Amino acid sequence: MPHAYFFFRRLVLLIFLLSPLAALGGIIVNSDVEAQRISIASLRNIYTLRQTLWPNRQPIVVFVLPDDHPVNVAFAKEKLGLYPYRLRQTWDRMSFSGMASAPIQVKDENEMRARVRATPGAIGYTSKDMVYDGIKTLRLE
Amino acid sequence: MTASRRSGWNSLLLSGLLAASPAWADELAGPRYQIQGFAAQGLIGSTHNNFFGDSRDGVSTRFTEAGLHGSWQALDAVRLSGQVLYRQAGESDQDGLRADYAQADWQFYQTEASQLGLKFGKVKLPYGLYNETRDVPFTRSGILLPQSVYVDNSRDLLLAAPGAFLHGASVQPYGAFDFLLGWVRPDFDSSSVEYSFLGNIRPGTLKGQGALGARLRWDLPTDTTLMLTHADARADYSPGTGDTLTAGKVRFRNLLLTVQQRFDTVTLTAEYGEPRFDNTGFGPYFPSSHRTIQAGYLQGEWRFLPAWELMLRHDFFYRDKRDKNGHLFALTTGLPAHSMFARDTTLGLRWDTTPNLMLRAEFHHVDGTGWLPGPDNPVFIDREQRWNMWLLQAAYRF
Repeated sequence: MPHAYFFFRRLVLLIFLLSPLAALGGIIVNSDVEAQRISIASLRNIYTLRQTLWPNRQPIVVFVLPDDHPVNVAFAKEKLGLYPYRLRQTWDRMSFSGMASAPIQVKDENEMRARVRATPGAIGYTSKDMVYDGIKTLRLE
Repeated sequence: MTASRRSGWNSLLLSGLLAASPAWADELAGPRYQIQGFAAQGLIGSTHNNFFGDSRDGVSTRFTEAGLHGSWQALDAVRLSGQVLYRQAGESDQDGLRADYAQADWQFYQTEASQLGLKFGKVKLPYGLYNETRDVPFTRSGILLPQSVYVDNSRDLLLAAPGAFLHGASVQPYGAFDFLLGWVRPDFDSSSVEYSFLGNIRPGTLKGQGALGARLRWDLPTDTTLMLTHADARADYSPGTGDTLTAGKVRFRNLLLTVQQRFDTVTLTAEYGEPRFDNTGFGPYFPSSHRTIQAGYLQGEWRFLPAWELMLRHDFFYRDKRDKNGHLFALTTGLPAHSMFARDTTLGLRWDTTPNLMLRAEFHHVDGTGWLPGPDNPVFIDREQRWNMWLLQAAYRF
């Protein structure tokens, strides 16, 4: 049993090593979002659909990459401290029971940036921690 | 005979949901509609007893599930959602297509950290960890949920019912709290529910009266979930023509305790309850009874690779806490004692082949016939105490 466990940890590590950009990823929001920084707890609450409003009560629109996208795997594990399958489980339980909408899934990082730029209240993530036109990057603390 | 004789509630609510007029006045800028769905097919083989079709010494293909779920954020504070479900499960469920639920949720108080709302319509019933999404294969811990707590025999009772729930959630430094408190009129009027409450299919009908439901959930920062569910439901029986039963009453009460601890790739879950059943006033041929069931399970899930999961579960069910091994029951009725209990050891494997496709395999070793589906095993004395079952399932989502 421990062998398989370490194999798994090594595999996760390997994914990070193979996508060096992923580990540096940034949290991006639409330019109309007032916040400059976000706490890990708050980010986790947003992505587990517990927090649905920004501090100024603007509705949050959550974007995600596909479950098996390396940037999503890195974001879930590194930033949220959750495996992608646990996130999916939470979204499924919340959405199929009618309690919340699942995050909106985009196909790649280009679409992620385009949708976050165009959607008021949007939050998403990218592999590069850099500045994009019309998108705000939040400092994680 | 179909397994359920429903009123016009379903179609009424569904058409109401679809006909409601759109309103675009407010802030939310994301898509206001969401459509998602799933379809799954199972294969079941077993020894000695049948489960969902003729599975004994053969293969039953009669376990099919499909659903289409839609939600619409009509206003920032109002969400409409519903699900159409197709389900076939051997002789126990032959209803095919049905409206599963259709509810409106009005979140009348929202802050960054807390929400308070009222949901009404034909609402999903909170019951333990899995009940609200029990028909969505991806959300279950196995192909079958632990039958002790989530008895498929009484599923119609637990699924969804017309009524209303007040609900709230709050995120605090010491964890997230959720509660649901409501009143519904549950559906007792199906052959499998009659089987579990009245021991057979009867000429009359069981009609649900009011039921109280409540659930408290606390998600601790230690990745622990603690949950308490309370249910109290009543039904009245109207005798049919040539009925040996008189107009009696049944009552079901339960307090279900849930504990879940999540470690890195391991999830440990336990749920336990002692549901109480009361039957009174059915006349001389069906003596009044008051019994307390014991039902619970322990379950471990291990994601040993990102797309692979192993599950081990021990599930126990005693129909009468005071007569666990059924000796008293056998003595007084002459029927086999093993119908009074079931202990199920399950080993399951899940492979998320792609984000849209899941394959599962599962093996059950069962001692007892306590939750064996009655309609699939009509001859009581042919049922055998020790039996095995394997299941395969492919599930697709979009």
